[in-house]
Amino acid sequence: MCASEIVLEGKKIGKKYGKLEVLRGISIRIKRGETKVIIGPSGSGKSTLLRILGLLEPPTKGTVIFKGMDVYASNKLNLNKIRSKIGFVFQQPSLFRHLTALDNVKLGLKVVRKMRDDEAKRKALEALRLVHMEEWIDHYPAQLSGGQQQRVAIARALAMDPDVLLMDEPTASLDIELTWEVIEVMEELAKKGITMLVVTHEIPFAKEVANEICFMSEGMIHECDIPENLLRNPKTPRAKAFLKRLIGEFGGR
Amino acid sequence: MSSFSWLSWWSPFIFKGFLMTLKMSAAGLTGGFVLGSLLALGDVYGGKITKAVVNAYVEFFRGSPLIVQLLMFYYGIPALTGYEWSAVTAGAITLMLNSAAYQKGYFKGAMESIPKDQLMAARSLGMSTRQIVLHIVLPQTYRIVIPAWSNEFVSLTKSTSALLIIGIMELTATAMTISALTFKPLQVYSVTAIIYFIWIYFALKIIEYIYERIRIPGLGETKTL
Amino acid sequence: MISLSDFLFLLRGLPVTVSISFLAFAIGFILGIPLTFLRLYTPKYSANVAEAYVKLFLGIPVLVFMLFFYFGLGKYVAIFRSPFLSAVAALGFRSGAYQSQIFKTAMNSIPRDQLLAAKALGMNKLQTLRYIILPQAFIVALPGLGSEIALLIKDSSYSFILGVLDLTMHADILRRAHKLFFEPYLIAAFLYIALTFPVANYLDKLGSKLNKKYALR
Repeated sequence: MCASEIVLEGKKIGKKYGKLEVLRGISIRIKRGETKVIIGPSGSGKSTLLRILGLLEPPTKGTVIFKGMDVYASNKLNLNKIRSKIGFVFQQPSLFRHLTALDNVKLGLKVVRKMRDDEAKRKALEALRLVHMEEWIDHYPAQLSGGQQQRVAIARALAMDPDVLLMDEPTASLDIELTWEVIEVMEELAKKGITMLVVTHEIPFAKEVANEICFMSEGMIHECDIPENLLRNPKTPRAKAFLKRLIGEFGGR
Repeated sequence: MSSFSWLSWWSPFIFKGFLMTLKMSAAGLTGGFVLGSLLALGDVYGGKITKAVVNAYVEFFRGSPLIVQLLMFYYGIPALTGYEWSAVTAGAITLMLNSAAYQKGYFKGAMESIPKDQLMAARSLGMSTRQIVLHIVLPQTYRIVIPAWSNEFVSLTKSTSALLIIGIMELTATAMTISALTFKPLQVYSVTAIIYFIWIYFALKIIEYIYERIRIPGLGETKTL
Repeated sequence: MISLSDFLFLLRGLPVTVSISFLAFAIGFILGIPLTFLRLYTPKYSANVAEAYVKLFLGIPVLVFMLFFYFGLGKYVAIFRSPFLSAVAALGFRSGAYQSQIFKTAMNSIPRDQLLAAKALGMNKLQTLRYIILPQAFIVALPGLGSEIALLIKDSSYSFILGVLDLTMHADILRRAHKLFFEPYLIAAFLYIALTFPVANYLDKLGSKLNKKYALR
């Protein structure tokens, strides 16, 4: 496996909702095994970018390239098949509320991957173990805390063996005391070499595991760099101002 | 002449009439269940034209009386198409079409209460629209809808009495016949009323029991976290 | 095809249909209000009687009541000798039960904290009812009342079985007299829709407008 293989790439992505221009020509590449973090103020288009990269909505301009193939080049491509190889974790845990934790993770394996039940169960348990939820498998979403639900959601995405995992502020909807358990899981996954693109405001997480941090604002990526550089010496004034506020909040150096 | 001796002689007929009422309600409810689900899916997830068609359909069947619909289909379809059909077939089809319009409303309400983020999550797993409907939307809809749906069960069961207009010997029609032959309308209609009453409240208890059995904690409540 | 004179003949059924529905609604309103009070604010004994009344009409087809009144009670009670009045009575009594359901739900929808606030102001039960609960409950009940009127208009067609000359009967006469097997019923259906649609929609819109205005619910 080539170490610098590009798994997912956004090419000059633009997105308009009516007259509102949310993304203005963004290019981004995610290499196999890397953890990339996007930071930036709210309303800068981060979620939209992630949804476009996850093929959950089409861009108005530009395209998405998954493992070398332009997914919008031909309408013969089965987008569902590609989606199943791109994991997605949302702000809200978004678990299927009529299914237990285990069945939530099994569903995609059975329905999309057409696995046998026992095979799907084995795979699902494995994923649930990765997020330390193996003792909660028979619980329904309503019986789990927000942090636990989000961990199950991560397992649900992981079980599909995605080439890349996209996470859209996975801790934003959680109370502070539930945040750490999710962050911890994310750090473990990053260290295992799972390819990730994470939108987050958790600077300590970014500092610890990110190979690269990108700063995004007003629909554009202003700069990308290794954490030390971007967090300590941002080049663009916007990034400077944003980090000053954000790191000020955390009392960091 | 207040003796109920007529009852033992006529009870097999009453029982037969009651069975016909059950049969026709069952046909209307199950047919309406399938068609109502499709109508609700069309209204919630369909395009503009689909929505307009669904709404016109619903407005027609909810806006006009079942009796008129029964007469229209029973007499009208053979006259228009030359296809002769029995009263029971015509009645069952009309009940289905009618009940579908009402059931659609209940299903729609339940579908709209399913948080949208689940659909997006299913999409991100690579599920097709058909799979999402089958595995995410419908299993939740059918569980959430039961309490509201039981209204349609009650109302359709009562509506089957309208079938006497096209000559189907359901419970009320049977009662009318017996009353005319025995000259005991007070007793006959009282017994009839009691049968409807007991059946409807008994069946409601069964529905409630089923609902409790297949209930899933937290499902249908608005709180997500 | 149906001729203009046939159409005009159909229209002659409308006043009967409308008056049955209107009278039944009025009876239902007059019964529904006290039934609701009995159910919500009186001792168990009387509340249970009212509750049983409502249950009875929820669980038995209105047609059975019509037949009971007309064929059964007609012998003993003068007004039930009229098929028209038998139909009005059956629909009206049932509407009392249904309207009571609508009022009860509406009154229960008033948030508890308002009742507590009224108590804190020193209002007694009657004052709370008069000034806090009823004005709001009436607005909340409007859409429900709209569909109840629509239901009465549709179910007034059961009176046809007693021989009342309503809209459905006129359509049926056209079938028998002119061998028109489809059109009279279709047009009758649209005439019913022309009655039910505006009422139900108007009260629904009015309800949500007022609900929004007073930020209820």
